Amino acid sequence: MNDLSASSRITYGAVPLQPGLVRRVRGLSDKALAWLFITPTIVLLLAINIFPLVWTIYLSFTNYRANRSNAPVKWLGIDWYQTILTDPDIWAAMQVTAHFVFWTVVIETVLGFGLAFLIDKKFRGHGMWTTIILLPMMLSPAVVGNFWTFLYQPQIGLFNYVVAFVTGRSASSFQMLGDVTLSPWAIVIVDAWMWTPYVMLICLAGLRSIPDYIYEAAEVDRASKWRQFWSITLPMALPFIMLAVLFRGIENFKMFDMVNLLTGGGPGSTTEVASITLKRAAFESWRTGYSSAFAIILFVTVFGLANIYVKALNRVKSR
Amino acid sequence: MSIANTAHSVVEPSRNTRRLAGSLVVLYAVITMIPLVWIVLTSFKSPDDAISYPPKVFFTPSLEGFCNLFTTRSRQTPEFIRTLGPPQGLCDDIARSRNMVVAGPSNYVPRFVNSLIIAFGSTVLAVALGTLSAYGFSRFRVPLKDDLLFFILSTRMMPPIAVAIPIYLMYRTIGLSDTRLGMILLYTSVNVSLAVWLLKGFIDEIPREYEEAAMIDGYTRFQAFVKVVLPQATTGIAATAIFCLIFAWNEYAFAVLLTSGNAQTAPPFIPIIIGEGGQDWPAVAAGTTLFLVPIVVFTVLLRKHLLRGITFGAVRK
Amino acid sequence: MSLDAHTPMPGRSLADRILRRGPLEAIATTIIAAGVVMLMQPVSLTLYSWSFATTLFGTVLFTIVSKVRE
Repeated sequence: MNDLSASSRITYGAVPLQPGLVRRVRGLSDKALAWLFITPTIVLLLAINIFPLVWTIYLSFTNYRANRSNAPVKWLGIDWYQTILTDPDIWAAMQVTAHFVFWTVVIETVLGFGLAFLIDKKFRGHGMWTTIILLPMMLSPAVVGNFWTFLYQPQIGLFNYVVAFVTGRSASSFQMLGDVTLSPWAIVIVDAWMWTPYVMLICLAGLRSIPDYIYEAAEVDRASKWRQFWSITLPMALPFIMLAVLFRGIENFKMFDMVNLLTGGGPGSTTEVASITLKRAAFESWRTGYSSAFAIILFVTVFGLANIYVKALNRVKSR
Repeated sequence: MSIANTAHSVVEPSRNTRRLAGSLVVLYAVITMIPLVWIVLTSFKSPDDAISYPPKVFFTPSLEGFCNLFTTRSRQTPEFIRTLGPPQGLCDDIARSRNMVVAGPSNYVPRFVNSLIIAFGSTVLAVALGTLSAYGFSRFRVPLKDDLLFFILSTRMMPPIAVAIPIYLMYRTIGLSDTRLGMILLYTSVNVSLAVWLLKGFIDEIPREYEEAAMIDGYTRFQAFVKVVLPQATTGIAATAIFCLIFAWNEYAFAVLLTSGNAQTAPPFIPIIIGEGGQDWPAVAAGTTLFLVPIVVFTVLLRKHLLRGITFGAVRK
Repeated sequence: MSLDAHTPMPGRSLADRILRRGPLEAIATTIIAAGVVMLMQPVSLTLYSWSFATTLFGTVLFTIVSKVRE
């Protein structure tokens, strides 16, 4: 579908003004005004995003330590990159991240699409219920994540109580945040609770973008509902689903706040996602050079995915 | 609305389908609301009710959580407490019943004020810069426009911890560590990308004929921007501002790494509210409730624009 | 939906048809995705070691390719 518009990066935009009109403008020329308007933003981003990024790249080639800023700085070349990319512990952290990203994205996509599909049936009051469902994703992941530690308390927590009530186990017999097999799932549950609405909202837009006449034509052809779902609904909503999947994937790849408050990476390092490893190296061990290299590795990954995301964004935009 | 035209169309779901869909969605909504309702309930519980087993749904409401949130208390002997005058206010009364006296205000209010100042400050800056750039990108032929726009968006995608390392070093060097100004600038730089993309979408929708007409009437382009485009874009600017506000209000990663006292916002502060012997859950819940209420209000106000906001203006519906 | 993107223009050479943005971008996207999978897969440490180089290459390629004319 939409290959033409998808493959150019940002397609919609300005149609130039008629030249005659431009010449008639008094005051600042359009060109000067355009730069006057855009420059402040670019300067701010250069100062607070790009300059630090360049600095990080430089630091990643050195043995600089932020807690010993007077020590002589030695140039190490790509040593840190080799260290990180052959370190089984970092590899393990990447797999923890993979578990988190994979399962949150799968659960959120299935639940989110399912909800969108149901809401699209336009039952009475669907607007109000949609707004209610959307609430969790607007809240602060840190503050809410912190409160989930209370729900997960072994004896007194509501979550354990409900699970105990349903399964008949004792509420103090399992610790969601203290058990090595359960804690990776504890963070998945909170993330799914929080971000399923996000996927739902985008899928809903996808479903609503399918024109009715396609279904009407399918009815005329006597296609079954099941068949209509697989050959109309799903393929036509797919660009939207892809968009949601990509964004959730990127966001959860760099997940920090919620996990930091729920488990802090523990028990042991079973929930130590990449950002937590990075934070420990950078702000607890103060291995600035090493953590800069790790930061660049994460950054390049996110940057690559962001390219794909913008491509997906344009594909959806043209609908 | 297409529903009206196709009221008896074959694609319209049957009543039973609708009813089933409705009940499933309501079921999900109710389940998903339980944690939030629990936060509010816990904030009105006494510490004993909060940690009782089985969890209490019905209880005698207490303001102890809110009192503990706003005050610091010190433990005293009953004899000493008897020597004091009558309790000053409700919180003192509650504290004395637990053999404590109120020692002073807690840090919650200053942290909350920090959150307000930083969130509003960065929002105003981000929206101002964003409106100008969005207009520039929307109306003029800017060289390398696509690359600049992608560059602007990609800055928002950066992992916060990766950015925090050099920002920490930079702020330490120029003396912006743990200052509100430093946090405002940082949040502005994160929000400006969203602001540019969202506002460009809104401004693209304003027909350029309006400005052209104004310019033929003798306005300069800048006057046309101020007097014609800005009023037309009010809704978009307001929606963008709320998005920026919510982001800055909720942000945790930068706040916990770059602030420790003076400029600390509420999100890193709420999790470290502790009472005697562990976390004081009613106080944490009270702090969380007060912190979340503005967001709930904003979400309801913003519901029509949420989709735009989370897709950087791409999906408008 | 733009069907014209699929139909090759008459009179274009084979190289012209392959060296267009669409397919090249698809290749770059695949390389980036492969790099990300290599970074997080649990199977081979060697693949993990080469993940960063792959992602970097894919990203650079994507940036160059997006400049190619449509």
